[in-house]
Amino acid sequence: MTGRIPLIARDLKRLYTGFLITALALFVVCSILTEFNPAVLVANGDAFWEFITQDFLPPALPKASRIPGVLDSVVVTLALALSSTTVAAILAFFVSLFGSEKVSPFPRFAKVVRGFATFLRNIPALVWAFILFSSLGIGTSVGFVALCITSFAFLVRAFVETMEDVSQDCVESLQAVGASFPQRVAQAILPSCLSGFLSWFLYCVEVNIRASTIVGMVGGGGVGLTLFSYIKSFQYDIALSIILLVAVMVIVVDQITNKLRKELLK
Amino acid sequence: MSLQPSPCLQTGEAAAAPQTEVGSCPARPGGRIPVKCRQRNRFIPVFLAGTALLSAASLVYLGIDWGKMLSRVPDIGVVFWDLAHLDFANMDLVFSSLVETISIAVLSLLYSLVLGVVFGMLAARNVFRLPVLSVVTQSFFTFLRAVPTPVWVLLMLVCLGMGPEAGVAGLCVHTTAFFTKSFAQSFESIPDGTIEALEVTGASRLSIFCNAILPAAFSQIVAWAGMRLETNFSECAILGMVGAGGIGYVISNSLQGYDYGTAGVAILLVFAVAYAIERLFVRIKRRFNQ
Amino acid sequence: MEPILQFDNVTKNYPNGVHALQGISFTVQEGEFISVIGPSGSGKSTLLRAINALIPISGGAVTLDGQNVAAQHGRALRELRRKVGMIFQNYNLVYSLSVLQNVLHGRLGYMPGPQGVLGLYSEADKRQALDLLEELGLSDFAYNRAADLSGGQKQRIGIARAIMQQPKLLLCDEPIASLDPSSAKTIMDLLRSMTARRNIACIVNLHQLDVALQYSTRIMGLSKGRIVFDGPPARLSDEMIERIYGTSRENLMLGGNGHDRADTVDCA
Repeated sequence: MTGRIPLIARDLKRLYTGFLITALALFVVCSILTEFNPAVLVANGDAFWEFITQDFLPPALPKASRIPGVLDSVVVTLALALSSTTVAAILAFFVSLFGSEKVSPFPRFAKVVRGFATFLRNIPALVWAFILFSSLGIGTSVGFVALCITSFAFLVRAFVETMEDVSQDCVESLQAVGASFPQRVAQAILPSCLSGFLSWFLYCVEVNIRASTIVGMVGGGGVGLTLFSYIKSFQYDIALSIILLVAVMVIVVDQITNKLRKELLK
Repeated sequence: MSLQPSPCLQTGEAAAAPQTEVGSCPARPGGRIPVKCRQRNRFIPVFLAGTALLSAASLVYLGIDWGKMLSRVPDIGVVFWDLAHLDFANMDLVFSSLVETISIAVLSLLYSLVLGVVFGMLAARNVFRLPVLSVVTQSFFTFLRAVPTPVWVLLMLVCLGMGPEAGVAGLCVHTTAFFTKSFAQSFESIPDGTIEALEVTGASRLSIFCNAILPAAFSQIVAWAGMRLETNFSECAILGMVGAGGIGYVISNSLQGYDYGTAGVAILLVFAVAYAIERLFVRIKRRFNQ
Repeated sequence: MEPILQFDNVTKNYPNGVHALQGISFTVQEGEFISVIGPSGSGKSTLLRAINALIPISGGAVTLDGQNVAAQHGRALRELRRKVGMIFQNYNLVYSLSVLQNVLHGRLGYMPGPQGVLGLYSEADKRQALDLLEELGLSDFAYNRAADLSGGQKQRIGIARAIMQQPKLLLCDEPIASLDPSSAKTIMDLLRSMTARRNIACIVNLHQLDVALQYSTRIMGLSKGRIVFDGPPARLSDEMIERIYGTSRENLMLGGNGHDRADTVDCA
């Protein structure tokens, strides 16, 4: 053995070195492509500070006559997130039954179902929103449908994975007993996976609260639209109070879903 | 994930044994024999009913005109038909904006990875054992995380002007906040025994972090990074729609200009890249979990 | 001769009102091999962790190599800690790292500053670690992930890591509780031979009375936070065992009963 004593096996070292080099190469290539220079942020530090202290602080309330409208838009965002997730979850439950080879009565089509969900999922919610806006026009209803599509696709994947993780054995044993497909669903899958499903549902609600704010910004209505219009009209101090409102909304919902999840998984 | 199976084992006794618990499944003499176990999670039905009620109320509140919606469903078909007529005339524009979008996603991910490890180290309770530091870091990043990405991007646009800088910086805020929380969680899931074992060698806290906690959490960090790259890419596609350029701008612009062919190509490419990222990280994760 | 370790009327009260240690006093000389026995909850683990201040004590004084442990903080404490190696029931390795990296963790106490943080070990340290692995019969596994090894092998890495510290005292917290009988014997043999060769004092927490009798030069019996027995194995009478465990002999599984104790030892 000559030279330095290595610390880890050679193939592992090669793997890590490969990773590091890939990351560095990506970093350099992307930096060149976007001409991004972190020094810009430092150089603009004064501008940042000025912006924050002069335009942003202190947060100001919108005109008193507008306040009910703002609060109403928050409720719209919440309602949008919850109802679209629920509708998506109900649809996703039935579809996911056909998406798992082990559960579906038509195992051959499981791949097709999953592929369809993958297609829907990999197009961002906002792109869906835009496609729908150009066919259905702007409005809350379109935001609802756009959120439904992405949460549906996400939940199908999550539900299928939960079923494959949790209920394999008991599905098999019920199959051995000779139970029919609906019997297997009701007696084996639902009891063993329900809490898992609901936990994913809660996660999806959290995601959708954020997503509905974003979809709202481009025309889906709700607090996103309100916020966007204040930013567009340079009323940053009012925008800040709405940003704080959104933050509070998101944090409160996260807290509630965390509590509920703990309760569910008890 | 599943319910505790142990109470269910009592199913057989439940009928014969005298019922002491009130309200669960009283076995009346001569009545029906219950088959369900006594200790069920009674919260689930309540939760289901509550969610159903709230969702119904939300739908009513939103007051969506379903009739009008349904009457326009054929229009969706028309739009998709138009989108399917791919138009490769603007390919160079689509391609360059796609490359820009991917670069922004990757750059913000790389910057945030480094920042996330540093802040995650400060936020984890078991690294420096300073509760105040953890609480302060965590609450600060909880706030940053609670504000949606486009807001950060919009604000960066105001500060930095148009261009990819605003995109990278805006995405970094949210991504760093996300990484800080998830990395801190991963660091905290390292068994205390492992940390204790290095403590007794006389190693400093930073040494322990770099030599034990970080390597042990490495596979989780890779998993988080993969998950976040998917999100970052789709959020990047969003950026264009608030005016920060990239593929999102091409999509929204061509849709608004009724140039469905170009939009179709752009959407297809977005899908292809998102799918490729997903597959890639499924593979990497498998490799690390061997 | 100056004792390596001295306990002076040490007490430890937990916030929940448990008195884990009550007035413990003893000294440990170089080269001793001490077994600490006693029922679960008698304070064995607390006693061990009080030595290198993993658990702060409530009263009394622990003197390690002439220095008061409670008075040390920061770097001084870390320098004191590296004189004490420790071995754990659950090995407590970093399983995603190579065996060699785990062994070299024992050197971190000697590497303040960026080298330690980045894990840049000196060639001499690496050479020593490889030699140590050779001595423990693990040289073929130096570049395997620690997770891929068996329980007995993991514990041998634990020993190597502790020896790398060049300690004056080795603490073993139930080192064989998770191991099968044959690995357990290997580990105990290794512990005895390696500490004897390097003149390291060794304190072992044990649940197996027969092992304690076979290997130690001295046995300490702990009951409810007090030392009720302290002496050579030969003096550990049946009455004493009953006092330590608080129950009669028939209720104890001792790995062979009192009368054919010698036979079991030979068989092992």
